[in-house]
Amino acid sequence: MKKLLSVLVLALLVTSIIFATGTVETSATKEVVNLKVWASNEDQTMVKEMVEAFKAANPEKIYNIDFGVVSEADAKARYLEDPEVAADVFAFANDQLKDLVKAGALYQVSGKYLENVKANNGEGSVGSCTLNGKVYGFPMTADNGYFMYYDKSVFSEKDMMNLDTMLSVAQKAGKKVFMDLSNGWYIASFFLGAGCKLTIDENGKQVCDFNNEKGVAAGEAIKAFAANPAFITGDDAVLTGGMGTSIAAGVSGTWNANAMKEILGVNYGATKLPEFTLAGVPTQMSSFAGYKLIGVNKLTKFPVDALSLADWLTNESNQLKRFKTRGMGPSNTKIASSPEVLAAPELASIAQQGAFAVSQNDVLGNYWSPAEAFGAAMEAKDYSTSVKAQLDAMVAQIVQ
Amino acid sequence: MNLKDYHLMNFFEKFIYHLMNFFKNLPSRLWIFLVKFSKGFIRFFVKLTHNTVSFFLILKQGDVWTKLSFVFMGLGDIVRKRFLQGFIFLTSEVGFIFFFFRFALKYLKDFGTLGSVVETEYIDEATGIIMYNTADNSMLILLFSVLSLSLIVLFIALYVISINDCFKTEEAVKKGFSTKTAVQTIKGLGDEDYHKTLLTFPTVMVVAFTIIPLVFMFLIAFTNYDANHQPPGNLFTWVGFQNIKDVFGGNQLKSHTFFYLLKWDFVWAFFATFSNYFLGMILAIMINKKGIKGKKLWRTVFVVTIAVPQFVSLLMMSKFFGDSGPVNLVLQNMGLNPIRFLTDGKIARRMCIIINMWVGIPYSMLITTGILMNIPMELYESAKIDGAGPVKGFFQITLPYVLFVTTPYLITQYVGNFNNFNVIYLLTTGGPKSLHLYQAGETDLLVTWLYSLTIQYQDYNLASVIGIMCFIVSAVLSLLVYNSSSSVKNEEQFQ
Amino acid sequence: MIKSQKRSKHTVNAVIYIILSVMAVVWLFPILWLVVRSFQGEKGAWITTVFPQKYTFANYVNLFKDTTLFNFPKWFMNTFWVAIFTCLLSTMLIMMISYTFSRLRFKARKGYMNVGLILGMFPGFLTMIAVYHILKVFGLYQSHISLILVYSAGSCLVYFIAKGYFDTIPRALDEAATIDGATKNQIFWKITLPLSKPIVVYTALTSFMGPWADFIFASIIMKDNYDKYTVAVGLYKMLERENIFNWFTSFCAGAVLVSIPITILFIIGQNYYVEGVTGGATKG
Repeated sequence: MKKLLSVLVLALLVTSIIFATGTVETSATKEVVNLKVWASNEDQTMVKEMVEAFKAANPEKIYNIDFGVVSEADAKARYLEDPEVAADVFAFANDQLKDLVKAGALYQVSGKYLENVKANNGEGSVGSCTLNGKVYGFPMTADNGYFMYYDKSVFSEKDMMNLDTMLSVAQKAGKKVFMDLSNGWYIASFFLGAGCKLTIDENGKQVCDFNNEKGVAAGEAIKAFAANPAFITGDDAVLTGGMGTSIAAGVSGTWNANAMKEILGVNYGATKLPEFTLAGVPTQMSSFAGYKLIGVNKLTKFPVDALSLADWLTNESNQLKRFKTRGMGPSNTKIASSPEVLAAPELASIAQQGAFAVSQNDVLGNYWSPAEAFGAAMEAKDYSTSVKAQLDAMVAQIVQ
Repeated sequence: MNLKDYHLMNFFEKFIYHLMNFFKNLPSRLWIFLVKFSKGFIRFFVKLTHNTVSFFLILKQGDVWTKLSFVFMGLGDIVRKRFLQGFIFLTSEVGFIFFFFRFALKYLKDFGTLGSVVETEYIDEATGIIMYNTADNSMLILLFSVLSLSLIVLFIALYVISINDCFKTEEAVKKGFSTKTAVQTIKGLGDEDYHKTLLTFPTVMVVAFTIIPLVFMFLIAFTNYDANHQPPGNLFTWVGFQNIKDVFGGNQLKSHTFFYLLKWDFVWAFFATFSNYFLGMILAIMINKKGIKGKKLWRTVFVVTIAVPQFVSLLMMSKFFGDSGPVNLVLQNMGLNPIRFLTDGKIARRMCIIINMWVGIPYSMLITTGILMNIPMELYESAKIDGAGPVKGFFQITLPYVLFVTTPYLITQYVGNFNNFNVIYLLTTGGPKSLHLYQAGETDLLVTWLYSLTIQYQDYNLASVIGIMCFIVSAVLSLLVYNSSSSVKNEEQFQ
Repeated sequence: MIKSQKRSKHTVNAVIYIILSVMAVVWLFPILWLVVRSFQGEKGAWITTVFPQKYTFANYVNLFKDTTLFNFPKWFMNTFWVAIFTCLLSTMLIMMISYTFSRLRFKARKGYMNVGLILGMFPGFLTMIAVYHILKVFGLYQSHISLILVYSAGSCLVYFIAKGYFDTIPRALDEAATIDGATKNQIFWKITLPLSKPIVVYTALTSFMGPWADFIFASIIMKDNYDKYTVAVGLYKMLERENIFNWFTSFCAGAVLVSIPITILFIIGQNYYVEGVTGGATKG
């Protein structure tokens, strides 16, 4: 037993000695800058080109830039796993802003970079990266919202104005209208359209009034929608799998644009969300306005260079490049209003829908699960409790 | 119930009898277990005190060299020509001192508060940009404190050992005995101390990769490390038993969720384990029966399903039974309503159990087959001589034998299913999400709930509390059943 | 008398054959479906018919051609090496532990066994965050060595199947050898291990298979380093929202490719494992 322990301790101590001596840290001189950049899968080639251009534009320093593949949706989770090894510059979806700032992940944008951001981007974009009056990111795209894709051979443009019309046309044609109701992101469109709000009070707690009179009416509308025989739900895979054959219209975002174009070909159509019937009154469906931002890691060892790179990646020429290569809607006001951009149906829809969209800045983490649960209950046609009671339970969980 | 009546019962009656006995004895067993456990605990402390006392006695009684060994570890050994042992002790001491000042002190000083330096910002004049001062990172402080503390504990143990060793050597020399040389010690490692040799490396691995992380996780349950207190931007600190109180009634929602999922977890583990076990056994016996041809072929068929990684086969299953998946398509084509296999709470639970059978039966079949082949033929031969037919042979010989050898397996399976992350998560991600559960769904087990809390909601402290509960349940279950099962009692007999 | 016995025996066998066939179909169907879908011509994960309408080899080709991000061949080799070393290390560890507990008697044995039992019941990923940071301290960040170490450490605790097997080897053999003057070390290597081929094979197989199927821990260690992924993590990534449309069918193809070597190994090992030790050795 004793010998066992001694060998054990010896082993542990030897290993601790090894690491205690530690690695000699190379101090960063002004000449060599090491940065890591995270971008999504499809963006990798494009971002690498942009970075090369950045290096060429700044020859006075030596840049060693590493790349990692992390999609914007995963950025927060990946970052929080281990902030020290997270990228210095990374792209993230603006709904993660609050949590990232809370965790102290983002480097505040100040000085000349702040001026750049304010000058080049619209109010919505700037608002999406601002928290408590401070700006924490560089707007990259302004198209992370959702709208309605449709099959032109089934629907006319006029049909797309109203949800009930769509449903009856679809039913007659033997097809379905798709919407992922068991998803807090999409289902909010009904409540927000009805005028309900998600806000933060002065203590930083979520305030949600989805169970007031208007909210209940919206809940009833959701219930009716889910009960309609032409309604179908599922995830993105279901939409792309069924579009054109069994599905004639579906709510989704720009990430599916290429797939939709491929599937529908000449019948490819996209437009803003329709109006739904709220207690007998046609009401425009709202949506969450999403933006993709580029943020700088607060723990970065090269703040000035990282900020400068982030600024570069979101400047005018690169936003134009991003639109041309990947079809993403730019946040830069000049590019966004160019005729090229407006000609793409999905980007035009986003712009159209944008007029009715609400920022996601004030949505806290506790919102998503209960909203999903409510949507799932409606999809499952679970009418065991009244809509009002279910909404009450949902709101109770949201404001936890 | 006398012996004669007992033997006259057939197998099922015996089984029921044992089962009833088991539950009847459960409370007293639990009590005996607790008593044994606390007795062991007390014994441990008594021994500890005794050792400490004798330790300080050595200080008084030892000679000059032994006394000096209190400061320079291993000196006593070196002086008395046990160079190897003394040298090892001395180097460990040096190493430890080095480690302590270089690393441990940094983190241990903050252990009580888990960090107090908050981030501040200032404007760098040269560039006009805001810069930040580095702050404390609570999580790293906690982790490295745990690491340091464990190493300190181990070092203390080593220290005590070295002193005892020096003293013993001194005594031996005084009395004229020859001490064990290094060569002899090494040889002994191959024979009477063989267990030490074999167990050293595994122990190191387990301590480093399981015990220390567990302690770390255990401690998190007593902090407020959640979504609102994420390092590096925020510090978190100790909150004592607040989280545990929450789960056990303090916070209505969390408490309700915990007990709801706990119940489902037990039920699920029960059905999952026993369905696989018995059906697997039946399948193995069928294939193994004399007169069935193509045994290898049949076994291969089922083995193929194990070869496909679980996350692939389970994902395919979830698509297969999805709301718009092939099964529902066929149903719809036949004019029936689609069944919400995996999206309706009750149905999803049953589907999980059924699909789990698909995953698990090949495994239990393989294990049972191997055991069946190992049953010595002479047992059957002697039974036949005694006039027993094949059915009786099964119940009297096969079943007990198989049960004996696989009791540990059964327990592993039950607890494994209690903590079966893969099947549930890949099939339904714990869904469908429910309004009366806190961040959880109808098919969530405690482990899958834990996973979502950690990855999606960063509720680390709640996750830790649940983890501890899982651990306690698993540990108690396994200890109880394993130690009182006949397989352990009859271990010597059987061999 | 004998004729009716024979006939009932035949009926029983016939019934068994029928049951086995039905079960075989049920068991194999999802695998077949996977293989069929790996040849699927339509893109994406959802199709409106039970079986695909179009078929193609492109999915398999894609795995090897399009390696800019999803470097399947590299992942395969990564996983292969990790699996081999894990297999070696784990088997060694498990054999050491179970032999000790089964054969050797020492003071703390029961205590050790119980502790090992309890620790083994714990779901692995609870400790993942801590283990990741500990490994980082030792410089094993995003390294395959850390995978090997962690998988092996985890397997240490699941020793009792092997122990159960060792228990069935009669003590008499050991005692005879001790009388002949063998040390415990010699007994382990020269007598016990050769007799335990089946369990060694079983242990080796299961520990070899582990790394191919683990996607949780490997993704925590490797994070964003696509090149170092194992097959499990890589394939799992193909199912993320933005990738699934283009990569689902390749996912199926990759899964099939991964399953083939494992299946072959299993079939070969199955001979060993199931044949087991013949009656002779256990008669003792």
